[in-house]
Amino acid sequence: MSNVLRPYLAAVRSTLTAALTLENFASQVVERHNQPEVEVGKSKEVLLNPMIISRNENERVLIEPSVNSIRLSIKIKQADEIERILCKKFTRFMMQRAENFIVLRRKPVKGYDISFLITNTQTETMLKHKIVDFIIQFMEDVDREISEMKLSLNARARTVAESYLIAFNP
Amino acid sequence: MSLLSPIICDNGTGYSKVGFAGNSDPSFVFPTAIATRGPASQPSRSGPAVPSKPGHLASKRGVEDLDFFIGDEALANAKTPGYGVSYPIRHGQIDNWDYMERYWEQTIFKYLRAEPEDHYFLLVRDQHCSTGLPDNLSVQTEPPLNPPENREQTAEIFFESFNIQGLYIAVQAVLALAASWSSNRVVDRTLTGTVIDSGDGVTHVIPCAEGYVIGSSIKHIPIAGRDLSQFVLNLMRERGEMVNVPPEDQLKIAGKVKENYTYVCQDIVKEFRKYDAEPYKYFERYDGEHSVTGRKYSVDVGYERFLAPEIFFNPEIYSSDFLTPLPEIVDGVIQGSPIDVRRGLYKNIVLSGGSTMFQHFGQRLKRDLKQIVDRRLEASAVSSGSVQKSSGVDVDVISHKRQRYAVWFGGSLLASLPEFYSSCHTKAQYDEVGPSIVRRYQIFGTAT
Amino acid sequence: MILLEPHNYIIQTTLAEKFTKPSSLDVQFVDFDGVRFHLSTPERKSALLLSMHIRCWDELVRYGAQEVLQREYGPLVQAQPEPEYNVSLVIDLDTAPPEGEERDNFVKSIALLKRNALAAPFELAFTKQKELESAGDGQGELTAIHYRDEEAIYIRAAHDRVTVIFSTVFREETDRIFGKVFLQEFVDARRLPTIQNAPQVLYTNRDPPLEIRHVPGLRDSEDIGYVTFVLFPRHFNNPTVAAGTISHIELFRDYLHYHIKCSKAYMQSRMRHRVAEFQKVLNRAKTEAATSTERKTVTGRTLHTR
Repeated sequence: MSNVLRPYLAAVRSTLTAALTLENFASQVVERHNQPEVEVGKSKEVLLNPMIISRNENERVLIEPSVNSIRLSIKIKQADEIERILCKKFTRFMMQRAENFIVLRRKPVKGYDISFLITNTQTETMLKHKIVDFIIQFMEDVDREISEMKLSLNARARTVAESYLIAFNP
Repeated sequence: MSLLSPIICDNGTGYSKVGFAGNSDPSFVFPTAIATRGPASQPSRSGPAVPSKPGHLASKRGVEDLDFFIGDEALANAKTPGYGVSYPIRHGQIDNWDYMERYWEQTIFKYLRAEPEDHYFLLVRDQHCSTGLPDNLSVQTEPPLNPPENREQTAEIFFESFNIQGLYIAVQAVLALAASWSSNRVVDRTLTGTVIDSGDGVTHVIPCAEGYVIGSSIKHIPIAGRDLSQFVLNLMRERGEMVNVPPEDQLKIAGKVKENYTYVCQDIVKEFRKYDAEPYKYFERYDGEHSVTGRKYSVDVGYERFLAPEIFFNPEIYSSDFLTPLPEIVDGVIQGSPIDVRRGLYKNIVLSGGSTMFQHFGQRLKRDLKQIVDRRLEASAVSSGSVQKSSGVDVDVISHKRQRYAVWFGGSLLASLPEFYSSCHTKAQYDEVGPSIVRRYQIFGTAT
Repeated sequence: MILLEPHNYIIQTTLAEKFTKPSSLDVQFVDFDGVRFHLSTPERKSALLLSMHIRCWDELVRYGAQEVLQREYGPLVQAQPEPEYNVSLVIDLDTAPPEGEERDNFVKSIALLKRNALAAPFELAFTKQKELESAGDGQGELTAIHYRDEEAIYIRAAHDRVTVIFSTVFREETDRIFGKVFLQEFVDARRLPTIQNAPQVLYTNRDPPLEIRHVPGLRDSEDIGYVTFVLFPRHFNNPTVAAGTISHIELFRDYLHYHIKCSKAYMQSRMRHRVAEFQKVLNRAKTEAATSTERKTVTGRTLHTR
């Protein structure tokens, strides 16, 4: 982990841990409903102030807490066209499997690449600090994975081009 | 672009059948095996081969995943140092998606030489085995069928990696029914019927109503091609025919005998008598050659000519733990299906797979099944004491020329219908909806 | 498999099989670039009729495909091709060469039918270059082969070179970006000392290169790319080298797209692996209660939520 990345992840970790104080909260609008308030957004009084943790203009995390749920959205670094498409492919691939990733949202919040939604049921049945670990690990690995994919694409392209052109040698 | 013929891909556990729609036979039939660099993957649990880490990139130059062989070439390279063979499909389910994707890659580009962007694809999915068959295969019913996620992953590969124009995922049994339309005895193109599919490993009996498999009534029989060969071998060994045959060739010879000389008799006792009366007329001679030394030998082929396929009808002569004859199983399957489709199921029993190709197999099955049905009708007439009589139930077993690759042929037939294109999921639809689009399943091609 | 092979595998295997065991046959199949084949035995089992439909046949004939095929296959070429197809060959199994190497070569040459048909304009350009070279100056005519619906090959001979331009369309954004990476490497690869002798490669996105800028009807959109190969006399001076160059360059487009697809497949396996890793991390968060034990009914069945 580079030294620049560490404070960023540390900030996300502590903010997220602090925000993960969720409790069961029945809907005030519809009787016998219990919905993630951050998604519904009907009762303003149970929503807390959203906050953005920004590493630079291309990388930031949006955390939207509420009484019974929290939404975390990540904008992943995309330096060029290749990283953009790889990032798109990767997040799409993962969101396709959102069913297995209990805390993953099927669609990202607008302006971000991937979003997670953690509800009070999840914090009750799962280990809270491990969920945080997962998200931090994800942020850490996803950048690396994308740049590795880019490297390997370039390496591949080079080999492919060389193999083709070398065959012209008489 | 003018439409090029769709590609039909039937990837089975043992063999893959691939080719172009409109043909009567697949262009390629080869083992679903892939030989890759590095050790063969351990059975399922260990996960896919780890994609290379960046540190390795420089040394391996980034294309090591293109270094592999599939099909017959994979088996030929099994002994080459550095390669390991694995089978990406287990029990009809794709077990290793990485290998399967590469398997498809080479099938399309090396063997079929097709640009996937220009083609529609019809894939065959196996509906019988969802959880993997237990070792002690007994007659059992299957709970849920091929889970949709598998189809979604397949669609993901074909649309995202290969950019194909359109995809249709068909059900094996339905294709086998469609294949029977080529028989001139079939007058109306219906997708209601019972499919008896017997390959090398397992025999399945699958009822289908209007294109949908009645999953709760499917039954499996642990008797198929491999058992027949083994049984022939046992018989010939007992008679002492195999003494001249080198041990490594024996099973192969038994297989040859099974394929070339056997037939189904109508009455086993009469058949024995016929053979004993005129052995020279009925006994056949098989001439072989030692594969290493080239020494010639010959064996007599006798009672196994009619006894081998007989194990479908009298399993007790071969196995001691599975004793239900095939006609009874078929009857049970149909009786276990909804009452309103039973007539249709009896009327259209379709054979598929290599182990149903024996002469007179269909007639014998029809006769035995008809007896069971008639007996039941009689018994119910007697016990109800009713004076009214049932009009009877039509039982018909359809044999046709394309039985061996019936599933593939059915696919080829369906994909050459004009409705095929409108029933496919297209690339545009996939981009719009995502992989879940393949959960929608549309049948087409029936006469009604 | 890194390089694609020039011959058609189905023709090769089918012919080899029919030589040992003639039987009636009627199959249709394809090759890259929308080429359709029909192999049948219309009259007798030992006479195979192989017909090919190729999209740009009219153009190819103009550039001498008929003569090239005549030279390669001689009497096998039928004067009247099968309806709906452009060219037909009759292969008589009885008069074909005896078993062994000779027959293998014969089968192989038949399997190269598509390659040979498409070779005509290249051969024409190579001869033209020779003429111009002795003349010392001048440019040949620009030949265009629309070998796919939206894509074409342009060939022009000059006194010191033959320029081959491929226009290629990427249908999807991922392909377009991957394609760009690949093509950039084609341009850069020539800097390596081992590849100094390879043809020079140029690549432009969207803007057609100077040579074909005047051609009417060129598409102007983001998804089109133009790849220029500059072949020097050393690539086609000697007939065997020239033949190799032609087989190789014909498959450029298929080669490129094949590798784009392979890379996507590779990315998929990487992602599959990475996502499985993430899944493991998340699973550590699950407590015993979350991964509840399987419950069974009295009869031993289990309940699944789907």
